[in-house]
Amino acid sequence: MRLVENIIGAMRGKAGTPIPGGIKPPDYKQATLRSRLMPTPIPRELILPLIQHGSTRTKPLVKPGDKVLKYQTIACSEATGIVDLHAPTSGVIRAIENFAIPSPLNKESMCILLESDGFDAEIDHNAITDYCSLSYLELAKLIEEGAIFGLGGEGYLNRLKLSSGKAVKLLIINAAENEPYITADEALLREKAKLVVLGAKILQAACMAEHCVIAIDSNNTDAIEALEQTQLNCPIELIKVAPKYPTGSEKQLIQTITSKEVPSGKYPADIGILMHNVGTAYAAYQAVVEGKPCISRITTLAGPALQTPKNFETLIGTSVDYLLELCGLNQQDHTMTLMGGSLMGVKLARTDVPILKTTSCIIAASNAEFPPPALEQACIRCGFCADACPVSLLPQQLYLYAKCQYYSELISHGLNDCIECGACAYVCPSNIPLVQYYRASKEEIGNQLKNEMSSAQWKQRFQYHQYRAKKDKEASRESKKRGAVAKTDEAVQSAGSTVQNMLPTFSRESAKKEIAAAVDRVRKRKTRLIASSSDENTESSK
Amino acid sequence: MTSSPQSSPFQHARHSTNNIMLMVVAACIPGISISTWYFGYGILVNVLLSIAFALSFEAAAVSLRERHIQAILADNSALVAAVLFGLAIPPGSPWWIPFLGMGFAILIAKHIYGGLGQNPFNPAMCGYLFLLLCFPLEMTSWHIPSDALSDVQEFAPISLSGLQQSLQLSFPFLNLSTFSSNELIDGLAMATPLIESKLAGTSKLLAAWQTDQSMFSRSSETAWELVNIGYFFGGCFLLLQRIISWHIPAAVIATVLTLSILFYSPGGYTIYGTPYLHLFGSATMIGAFFIATDPVSAATTSKGKLVYGMIIGLSIYSVRVWGNYLDSIAIAVLLGNFSAPLLDHFLRPRIYGHKKGVAGPAGKGSDGDLGMDS
Repeated sequence: MRLVENIIGAMRGKAGTPIPGGIKPPDYKQATLRSRLMPTPIPRELILPLIQHGSTRTKPLVKPGDKVLKYQTIACSEATGIVDLHAPTSGVIRAIENFAIPSPLNKESMCILLESDGFDAEIDHNAITDYCSLSYLELAKLIEEGAIFGLGGEGYLNRLKLSSGKAVKLLIINAAENEPYITADEALLREKAKLVVLGAKILQAACMAEHCVIAIDSNNTDAIEALEQTQLNCPIELIKVAPKYPTGSEKQLIQTITSKEVPSGKYPADIGILMHNVGTAYAAYQAVVEGKPCISRITTLAGPALQTPKNFETLIGTSVDYLLELCGLNQQDHTMTLMGGSLMGVKLARTDVPILKTTSCIIAASNAEFPPPALEQACIRCGFCADACPVSLLPQQLYLYAKCQYYSELISHGLNDCIECGACAYVCPSNIPLVQYYRASKEEIGNQLKNEMSSAQWKQRFQYHQYRAKKDKEASRESKKRGAVAKTDEAVQSAGSTVQNMLPTFSRESAKKEIAAAVDRVRKRKTRLIASSSDENTESSK
Repeated sequence: MTSSPQSSPFQHARHSTNNIMLMVVAACIPGISISTWYFGYGILVNVLLSIAFALSFEAAAVSLRERHIQAILADNSALVAAVLFGLAIPPGSPWWIPFLGMGFAILIAKHIYGGLGQNPFNPAMCGYLFLLLCFPLEMTSWHIPSDALSDVQEFAPISLSGLQQSLQLSFPFLNLSTFSSNELIDGLAMATPLIESKLAGTSKLLAAWQTDQSMFSRSSETAWELVNIGYFFGGCFLLLQRIISWHIPAAVIATVLTLSILFYSPGGYTIYGTPYLHLFGSATMIGAFFIATDPVSAATTSKGKLVYGMIIGLSIYSVRVWGNYLDSIAIAVLLGNFSAPLLDHFLRPRIYGHKKGVAGPAGKGSDGDLGMDS
């Protein structure tokens, strides 16, 4: 089997097959790489959004004025695939209302405002030391109760990943964080490698994966050393991958490790692979062995505008402002705040927003390292972007088609396979914000699909309406015929006539509509045919 | 543009279009220097005149199109076109040759299509071919100042009189230097019958070595080989800087080499010439590294670039050997330009997670309808 061969190859020290393209930006990790991982002091207020992921809200179990303890469930999931929300510390619920949430657009959402009392009193929780005796279902349940979801930044729900119902051959623990500035995973591995490995074992048991590997950047020496020192007698292999962005991206890492590709539109689980972040593994350890649900995460605070950038084990719901203050924010230099890395992160519209379970990094930017973008120039089709694209797309062609809104060409050039890693825009010598064009086009195509679906729905309704009218007409004709044959009583005739009175006007109207619609359709098709004939020709000749 | 980016990525690499264009010009410098050494100041005068005209035309076109003049002039694309054009026309051309050529290149071949990035054809080569068709005589006579090529004043440095003669040739109304047109040497290089001796002879460089002659001596006729070597190193510099990819130059050179090996008949004094001279005795190097690699009008996918280079190499060889024109870079590159969109359409790289380079329609919605409605 090729998969196993590759794993064996990796064990022999090969760094896997590198992804096509990719970039090696300056990583700016030195500032935070060696700082000690420390818990933040408990902030006075915590803002806990009810929507943790996607668009489904959890239902609050508390009301303003309630006292809660640390780890207490304060909102529960109603839908599948949504995890509960737990109080990160003890205190009093002050409000359940709209607060600003991290977004580039000043968005607000329903949140629970928890005022801490400073005691950090915990609710009873049972630690399980003997997790090996548990069945995979029990483990999965414990992990789900731990309110964990993908802590790698994308926030895919754990349960969906864990119990997708397909046989898992390989579990990959992703420590290959090669986006600039982010050192959260490194810090975690350096200080808690043993627990991460235990968590990986638990995840492996929960999804019954045959193999488990930990993928890590080959230049991440401290973390590698820490992992190698955890001499656990478990079949978890360490795979060192080339530190090339975006190797740490899910599909790219799978390609690097196994030389397999996830088919377009499918999930890694479809080819028997599951991937979790090291943060998730650590959270799984906490949930299962210590019985603690996920209430904190490791977040990197980096950026040139901070005097003491470092990694924090920070409570979910801590305000970004609070963390920036802790690191000594230099107000004069500070130009903007990013959540996530510098290549895929989000520019925050405001900083009084909470840390989420997916917040791996906060960057306080200054003009020195983040100069305002230069003027957008013409695309000279140099192809640097195509060389950098890890998915082998042709960003220059996509840009061309996005600009003239040629959506069918965009799709055939693989717009939907774009992972928005930003490598193309990073290398573009003409400073074209390529990813911005792609996002806009994706949204526009999504809207068009939605419109098409709704029009298809209306078409279906209309056709059903026509069908029903025809049926009624036939029924009335039938009854009329029957009436003639039976030569019959008035009752039947009157009944028939009422039907007759009703139906013709009804069907005439629908017929008119139908004709109008048909004329319209033909006209549209004609213009479309004219417009697309040339394109069609080249397509078909192929 | 807004003052700060709206979405990721927030970091940017150091390359800029302005610098890329400047690097291309810088990479031409060895070739230009050697050309000037052998063919006199006429080369420099051509290049400088072309630059002046190109920038003026660019500024005029940009102001007509109501764009930001300084920002667009700063992209240096007109500069590159001017340098390549100036190197293509014969030294000693009168001033109106670069004027008309750059006018055609910048106004017609570039800005009529929408400026940088939009032109389907290489502007410099369009301008060159326009002139070649309209003024074949002027475009095929290489006037070289007499002392630049004289056996008497062997290894003479480029003299003041040479400069005077070059200026006189470029500006016939100046009366700087007095010489009758009969004295002018119609160069060693480009007139029709000479292509045969140029390509079919032996390597002058080798000859110079064998006879212990200085290869920089103007009587040694090593000019073309050294000029090509200059462009070759310039091209390698661009490759190392990753400004151009290896695909196009490699394909052009490999194709010309293969064809010239295939048709080479040693001993026979035919125009097929030796493979070495096909590469280094003509304009192949500047064509392969500098002209064919113009990214705007070239194919843009890796596979496309290889085929594009092969088409150009094939055309270079065919036109040179079986065609009527002297050297064929311009024609070959324009032929390649014609094929570029088609190559880009059909020769796409395979996308991650797909079997082919073409992604299927998204979801189950009919894909064909999407683009046409807007």
